[in-house]
Amino acid sequence: MRILLVEDDSMIGDSVADGLKAEGYAVDWVRDGKEAEAAVGASPYSLVVLDLGLPRRDGIEVLRSIRERRIGVPVLVMTARDTVRDRIKGLDAGADDYLVKPFDLDELTARVRALIRRAAGRAEPVIERGQLTLNPATREVTWRGEPVSLSAREYALVAALAERAGLVLSRAQLEEKLYGWNETVASNAVEVHIHNLRKKLGEGVIHNVRGMGYTLVAE
Amino acid sequence: MTSIRRWLLAALLTALAVAGLTAASATYFSARDEVDDLLDEELRQVALSLRDHAVLDLRRLESVSANPAQRVLVQIWDPAFDRPYVSRLVGDSPMPRTDEGYATVIHDSRSWRVFTLFTGRQLIQVAQPTALRTELAARTASRLLLPVLIVLPFLGLAGWWIVGRGLAPLGRIAGAVKERSPTALTPVPTTALPVEIRPLADALNDLLARLDHSFTLQRRFAADAAHELRTPLTALNLQVQLAERAASDDERARAFEKLRQGLRRATRLVQQLLTMARLDPDAAASPPTVIDTSTLVASVIEDLRPLAAERHINVTPRVGSGDCRVTGSEDALRILLNNLVDNAIRYTPAGGRVEAAIERAGDDVVVTVEDNGPGIPEEERERVFDRFYRGQTPGVSGTGLGLAIVSQVVEMHRGSVALGATAAGSLQVTVRLPAQAAGEPSSASVR
Repeated sequence: MRILLVEDDSMIGDSVADGLKAEGYAVDWVRDGKEAEAAVGASPYSLVVLDLGLPRRDGIEVLRSIRERRIGVPVLVMTARDTVRDRIKGLDAGADDYLVKPFDLDELTARVRALIRRAAGRAEPVIERGQLTLNPATREVTWRGEPVSLSAREYALVAALAERAGLVLSRAQLEEKLYGWNETVASNAVEVHIHNLRKKLGEGVIHNVRGMGYTLVAE
Repeated sequence: MTSIRRWLLAALLTALAVAGLTAASATYFSARDEVDDLLDEELRQVALSLRDHAVLDLRRLESVSANPAQRVLVQIWDPAFDRPYVSRLVGDSPMPRTDEGYATVIHDSRSWRVFTLFTGRQLIQVAQPTALRTELAARTASRLLLPVLIVLPFLGLAGWWIVGRGLAPLGRIAGAVKERSPTALTPVPTTALPVEIRPLADALNDLLARLDHSFTLQRRFAADAAHELRTPLTALNLQVQLAERAASDDERARAFEKLRQGLRRATRLVQQLLTMARLDPDAAASPPTVIDTSTLVASVIEDLRPLAAERHINVTPRVGSGDCRVTGSEDALRILLNNLVDNAIRYTPAGGRVEAAIERAGDDVVVTVEDNGPGIPEEERERVFDRFYRGQTPGVSGTGLGLAIVSQVVEMHRGSVALGATAAGSLQVTVRLPAQAAGEPSSASVR
């Protein structure tokens, strides 16, 4: 799950990025409106966390430009503009949710999960794929009824694959979902995580589709 | 409490009463004169007629004029009798003899007006109590005073009503003012106001307008301040939560360090807000003193050395020749210089340099602060003086108040501030302050 964070304040940006990373998301952080517009077009994001008071281009304009370009990524607006009119304006410009500063990290992550879940077309908070269940809120994973302990990256990887049944994701796509821009990725990182997952969940769960990538087969 | 209505009414009635009394007493005295002349003449006529035909036979006369209702008292002395003829005995003894002509005598402890006529043989005295004259004059005067006294109560009532009517616009203004609240300081209506009250209403409206402006500024400042405080609070809130959920000691230490930075920043913002509030021109500042800005700038740079050293920035003061003294508030000027130099240090990349120059140019003291940072694009230069406006330079934890404070202090000292660019495109801030007033002895330029 890769999230674009748009926030000009270094302290808030730093903290939100840390908080989201701790939840297993890959975070790209940009600090102004123009960079945000460029970034949204450049890589597929599961979510955009957008501050409104931005240098160079206002957040609302960024939001409009995202929607004008028909990019359907969920956008969570995070701002100090708290009047009802501001919120209506934000939602009408294409925001999916509105979070007023100051907010709780827990609330932010809960809303992030909800938005990602809804974008994936699910209403129920727990993902079930055969005998595999994932709870994005607690990041608890069970396999055949038994809890499995996964690292943050392993969880992110299995969650990316479980997001839609039968989805095949290439190694590059997985890397994109797992790592932010400024993180160095070892060339075999995805393979290493898949290897570890297979050890924990059994060989057959993650299937390698030759030439295409990986898919989750969890009967 | 004094009441204009009661005062006006009392004054009017008193004036009326005084006027009535004055008129009455004037009447009394003039009537008294007339009565004197008239009655004196009457006394003389009586005496003359007595001389002409009643003179001789006193016994016959006695029976005729012994009428007590007679207004005059007649006494006739005749050498033939040892007692005078008296028309009516008043007291125990007759009135003493008097000299010929008019006289006023006391007889039987009363005052009498007497006319004395000497026929050659007899002395005729015709007398009348003076009280009669007083009484007549008083009666005339009272005829004048009476209507005034009767009219007075009615006039009082009418006056009460009229004064009340006249003062009604004041009541309307009071009512209108009472309706105003700090959130709705609309002017009171001035249509149909009498000219006497118009200035009051205008002054009031002027005050209301200034209050409204001041309130609006205050409200906006409070709203802006609250809004701005949200950012550091959000950061702190997040940093605390990250510190709480830190998995390792290392992570926790890192989180706490960030938390400390966040606190420093929030503190700085609060300090700047306080500074701003204190610089409010309405808040009476300390009396202006004469300050040598060249020593002040040196001291400010000294204070900022640690910050500059931390960022490896070289700060150099450059003090030109000439008298660099200005009249103003030392605290405010220190804040001004501090903000300029502090800003330059913050917005200059590590390893850069900042130069603060001060010199006398004509009637101004000119402070120039330059750095070799990225500068401010021209289109943004006006906006940076707005409260809470923060430039496009990312990664600098400013409060957005620094230059707003600078412009406030400059305004306080009737100076000017301009943002420009150095040849290399870095920021150059120029502040001009009027040098210590030319009228003062030390720098007087006499032509």
